[in-house]
Amino acid sequence: MTLIVRNIFFVFTLLLLTATNAKELMEVELPSGEEVEIRVFPADGNILIIGFPCDAGKSKHEEATAQSLVEDNIEVWMPDMLSAYMLPKARSSYEEMPDEDLAHIIYEAVSTNKDVYIIASGPETQLLLRVAAQWRQEYPEYKNLKGAILLFPRLNDGEPIPGVEPKYVESVGTTTIPLMVLEGGRTPNRWGINHLSNKLKAGGSEVVSKIVPDIRGYFFKRSDPNRTEDVVTSQLSGLIKVSLFYLQENSK
Amino acid sequence: MRKIFVLLLLSVSLYANGAHLKPYSGSITDPAISLKDLNGNTHTLEQYKGKVVLVQFWATYCPPCVKEMPSMNKMQDKLAESGVPFKILAIDMAETKAEVDAFVKKIKPEFTILIDETGSSIQSWNVFAAPSNFIIGKQGQIQYTLFGGVEWDSQEIIDKITKLSQK
Repeated sequence: MTLIVRNIFFVFTLLLLTATNAKELMEVELPSGEEVEIRVFPADGNILIIGFPCDAGKSKHEEATAQSLVEDNIEVWMPDMLSAYMLPKARSSYEEMPDEDLAHIIYEAVSTNKDVYIIASGPETQLLLRVAAQWRQEYPEYKNLKGAILLFPRLNDGEPIPGVEPKYVESVGTTTIPLMVLEGGRTPNRWGINHLSNKLKAGGSEVVSKIVPDIRGYFFKRSDPNRTEDVVTSQLSGLIKVSLFYLQENSK
Repeated sequence: MRKIFVLLLLSVSLYANGAHLKPYSGSITDPAISLKDLNGNTHTLEQYKGKVVLVQFWATYCPPCVKEMPSMNKMQDKLAESGVPFKILAIDMAETKAEVDAFVKKIKPEFTILIDETGSSIQSWNVFAAPSNFIIGKQGQIQYTLFGGVEWDSQEIIDKITKLSQK
């Protein structure tokens, strides 16, 4: 009996491991001559999401989230941009990534004929906005980049000054694609979400912004999550799917 | 040589203290508050004319806000001992009274905490980050601002507020 239970457990574990490793590695040569490795979580559906920039599994939950999206037939690509240029995970690293290289990754994704959406969080959202602007400039004939999701964007240029409206990095207001902005309810940044949304709209984008109640900034990266943050982290794919719904509505 | 060492030490300690009070550069000319404290008493900025007031926007989930509260207690004591007319109004950023009550029991701030459950003052004061601090002069105008956590009882800040109270 014990042996049967052990065998069942072994097979179950094997199945689970197979499921969580259902990804492929793809290497893409960039215009700069560098090569980027992209983790591809393939799916048959018509939607493809690219997570910018990716740091090869160092962020918690990203692969589980990707798997969950795949179950809904959404394909996920995670280009490891930092490793491609051997850069550290720091805000200054984003400046080192050529816009043409970033746009080329979108080109590869659009070449699948799927509808492409891009997603990033925190200060990485500035990179996402740069990519979107560069893409439109370089490939105006392609219409398959359908929108971007900005999770808890941190786009301030410099330190906040109390009593003064914030200034943002240059890439804010430079793209026309529909944007979805999500911010935590328990972060002071929630008070800037309307101001930021208006600046993002200046480029011509349709912008939808939502507050996710009871969560702090970077909740999915925290080592001390509260119960709500735990639940939302485990359902991050749901949050992304809701965002896709809004973006699809806005790109009609 | 000894003087250079002392100056070096002083500059290092000032740097370690982090943020500094900076002259206000915004456009709010008539700052106003009308909010209740935890006992239900209404406080306005108007009623503290003649005192230097530190208006702080904070939240229980903001680690630097929590960390600097003991130094705010000490600052209040130091200025009171020196006879400087001074008041702290710390506005919680749109949390519930129950949340703030529980926090106050634990952390024990000794200054006035105001509740703004709707967040109306946050918007009218152009606050986008926490802790956001405003130093109001005796005539009710914003003189200095400071973003981020700081040791409020540092000599630099005590001196600046004392000087402001003499204007």
